[in-house]
Amino acid sequence: MAEYFFELLTEEIPAWMHEAAHAALLQQLTKLTHDLGEPAGDRNPVIVNSTPRRIIFFLSRIPLRENDREEEVKGPPIKAAYDAEGKPTQALNGFLKKNNAAIEDLITGGGDYIRILRQIKGRAAGEILQQRIPQIVESLRWPKMMRWGNGEHSYIRPIHSVVSILDGAHLPITIFGLASATTTVGHRTLAPQRIEVTSYNDYVTKLELNRVVIDAERRRHVMAERARILANEAGGTPAIDASIWSQWQYLTEYPGVVRAEFGGDYLALPEEVLVTVMRVHQKQLPIRTAAGKLTSSFLAVLDNDGDPDGNAAYGNSFVTNARFADAKFFYETDRKRTLESRRDQLSHLQFQEKLGNYLQKTDRIEQIAAAITDDPETLAAARLCKTDLVTEMVKEFTELQGNIGGIYAREEGMPENTWQAVYDHYLPINIDDALPRTRSGAVVSLADKIDTLVGFFLVGARPTGSKDPFALRRAAQGVVQILLNRDKRSVKIGIDKLIDVALQSHEQPSNPATQQLKADLLGFFTERIRTLLEASAYGFAYDEIAAAMEAGWESSLTDLVDRIAAVKAMRNEPNFLSILDSAKRIANITAGQQIAASIDPSKLENAVESRLASLAAVVSTQIEEMIGERDYKRALETFAAMAPELETFFDEVMVMVDDEALRRNRMALLHKIGSAVAGIADVTKIVVDRREYRT
Amino acid sequence: MPRLSFQDLIFRLQTFWAEHGCMIETPLDVAVGAGTMHPATFLRVLGPEPWNAGYVQPSRRPADGRYGDNPFRLGKHYQFQVVLKPAPLNVQDLYLDSLRAIGLDLTRHDIRFEEDNWEAPTLGAWGVGWQILLDGMEITQFTYFQQAGGIDLSPISAEITYGLERLTMFLSRRASVYDIEWGAGFGYGPVRKQDEYEFSKYYFETADIDMHWQLFKLYEKEAQHCLDESLVLPAYEWTLKCSHVFNTLDARGAVSVTERVGVMKRVRDLAVRCAHQFLASREALGFPLLNPLGNPPANPLIGERA
Repeated sequence: MAEYFFELLTEEIPAWMHEAAHAALLQQLTKLTHDLGEPAGDRNPVIVNSTPRRIIFFLSRIPLRENDREEEVKGPPIKAAYDAEGKPTQALNGFLKKNNAAIEDLITGGGDYIRILRQIKGRAAGEILQQRIPQIVESLRWPKMMRWGNGEHSYIRPIHSVVSILDGAHLPITIFGLASATTTVGHRTLAPQRIEVTSYNDYVTKLELNRVVIDAERRRHVMAERARILANEAGGTPAIDASIWSQWQYLTEYPGVVRAEFGGDYLALPEEVLVTVMRVHQKQLPIRTAAGKLTSSFLAVLDNDGDPDGNAAYGNSFVTNARFADAKFFYETDRKRTLESRRDQLSHLQFQEKLGNYLQKTDRIEQIAAAITDDPETLAAARLCKTDLVTEMVKEFTELQGNIGGIYAREEGMPENTWQAVYDHYLPINIDDALPRTRSGAVVSLADKIDTLVGFFLVGARPTGSKDPFALRRAAQGVVQILLNRDKRSVKIGIDKLIDVALQSHEQPSNPATQQLKADLLGFFTERIRTLLEASAYGFAYDEIAAAMEAGWESSLTDLVDRIAAVKAMRNEPNFLSILDSAKRIANITAGQQIAASIDPSKLENAVESRLASLAAVVSTQIEEMIGERDYKRALETFAAMAPELETFFDEVMVMVDDEALRRNRMALLHKIGSAVAGIADVTKIVVDRREYRT
Repeated sequence: MPRLSFQDLIFRLQTFWAEHGCMIETPLDVAVGAGTMHPATFLRVLGPEPWNAGYVQPSRRPADGRYGDNPFRLGKHYQFQVVLKPAPLNVQDLYLDSLRAIGLDLTRHDIRFEEDNWEAPTLGAWGVGWQILLDGMEITQFTYFQQAGGIDLSPISAEITYGLERLTMFLSRRASVYDIEWGAGFGYGPVRKQDEYEFSKYYFETADIDMHWQLFKLYEKEAQHCLDESLVLPAYEWTLKCSHVFNTLDARGAVSVTERVGVMKRVRDLAVRCAHQFLASREALGFPLLNPLGNPPANPLIGERA
């Protein structure tokens, strides 16, 4: 077994790109070791790691060479291989000589051609690595590539050196024309000297002495521990923030953390602003007290294990104070005007070229919200929800849209219900986001999202494939998430009604074009609903969802969930399975057949048939009532109770008789039974497991 | 920690880059938003001619004005701009040496290169690079130019832009830009504060909107006129004037979102035409800077001069 070590020294690679690069490399290198004939083992023989300016990998167990193998080589036709006296011809001798073989090596029997077996020596691992490593490294795709020098190559950043070592010896390769060696450099400013390395272990040790910690996990761990101690000294704990940690570990080669302070006066600014500036703009971690209160201390990453002169503490304070000073300026400027007075400005802010400005959008949101509720606090929120888009604060910190409006509304003394609705109305954005805190927020969010969806569908800007520039899939998903909710925030409106109201607010008459649009939009929602329900905690199976959706969902999503739940609860009952089977049989028989409009009692020929008909009549009425009471489980149970009678019918009565009137009447009977629970689910969509059925 | 004045910092940077092969240019005498817009960067990065230059550029950003009230933000600040073409492979090390040259002991500071890509839609230009953080504070923008005027560049240039006020504040430990020393005992505040106040008031409240729209059209027309006459450098100056007028209108709140896209496109169209014409004009001249001192080529294989 041999081991191989590789380092690519580059210029600083963006922090957010490392993890995807690791995964891509790991996959390629695992394939490489597999191709080389790496024996299966418990330990992954491939290690990939990186620092801001190094990509390294280590293959710990690779065979010294590929396995030898044999290959058949075809020579001249046998006819041309021997002369009349049976002696080898020139052609055969030439072939043997070329392949370094003797006449004894010929394969005898079969075929019209001379053949020999050639022994192919497996290539040495080094030879293969020399070919494959450059391919793997050079073909790594980065989200944003650049060219350098004369622009011959495209990569994440210019490359500086390559280390390539196979079992302690240099294995020469070239990456983008740059020849490898066995030297690298230490930390950029703390230990910039050249370092000779002989192996992976030697590399890790020497780099550490030269102020580079190779393992990203370890860098993170060191910083987390340091952060905890520093925050503790300031009487708090560092905010838990995975996105900051995953950036920090790729922003430093020699991990360190510094604590700095901002001016205590700035604590009077909205907390969301302070946290956004620190987290998003400065990649800093706020420190909170045990009670969760923000302190004026915060943490920042260092590419050094300490800050001996306090320079980094000073610099970080300086820059954060500068940012906060700006935020304070925006805040004070903004507070000179009320949100209500900003509505006019919204008319200068375009929502979408063909869909008008944000004042128009706000009017539509209000109109849609008014169709759901007449609560004045909710409608006040709808009226103001977009006004923060013209504040200085949101122009600077766009990610705080909604929040800023909510904060300003709160400071203007508006009711909690109103300001929280403004604050929350973009929620939920992602599938795991919380819903708006209040029903008012849910209503405004729904109104905003359905307006956007209908609007973009109207102007033909629908998502295609992976392209969804206006995030319409997310908007639809948000609508579904809100409508599925059943707690005190629940909004009881169907998606079809929402679409109608939104079409009205867009002043669209009902005509074939808008009906088509509505159908398209409902189709668009179907996918979102299915996806969300499959991923939900309900644990619904695909066929249960499909069956219940077939019976409609447009007027209520919570009702859909109830129906799926009933189907799910029933699906393992033997009677239910039996009747599902019958329902499928009915569906198959009646498909494309002429069915009588109603059952004619005079045409019920035998006792079994009559019994089933009267049972069906009674049961259908009962089921209808139960569905009316939304007692879906009982309705399905009642349906299932018909199973034995139906089986007897199938055993004793011939449906496909020649007498057309008779046939059509039997079809009508079966159809009546088959459609008894059509309002709950299309049960024929349930996939029945035969084995279950037999038990 | 060196306690440098504003002008000390300029001198040290100029000296450092002059010693490392840069021609020290002078600021462009047209109002621009950044050193990038100086022809010494925007036009020189085009084509095969080598180019190394450094210069101070007053940079006007009308919307950034704060009436002299904000200790960190200015409507006009000064950049020290270095453009290296082609970017040498050790350009990051050179940059770090320039920090050492202004007196920083880098083992006692935190220096980081964090991704920050640059894009100037009105110039049809973009590049990738970093903001360089000194102790957590952005002091420099570093960009590998990839495209300018819509033209893919080769060779690739590096642009290094130092924020001079920021750096001076930090190095002299001043909490406000108005407290730094410009030089020879003159303070930045007494020298510049009136300027900041008046221009903030002008750009935000006073600038005549109609007149600026008229100016925009006139400048645009003249730029096109110059381009039609194959006078690319004057055309480019008029383009820059358009750009500044646009920034003024924007700060004045006179550009609606719809107009914005259209106006930016008009500036971009001019800049793109300028870039193409400049490249063509340099080619017509035989790319003179391939032979920077204008002497006959030493290598006879390159050919005799006409």
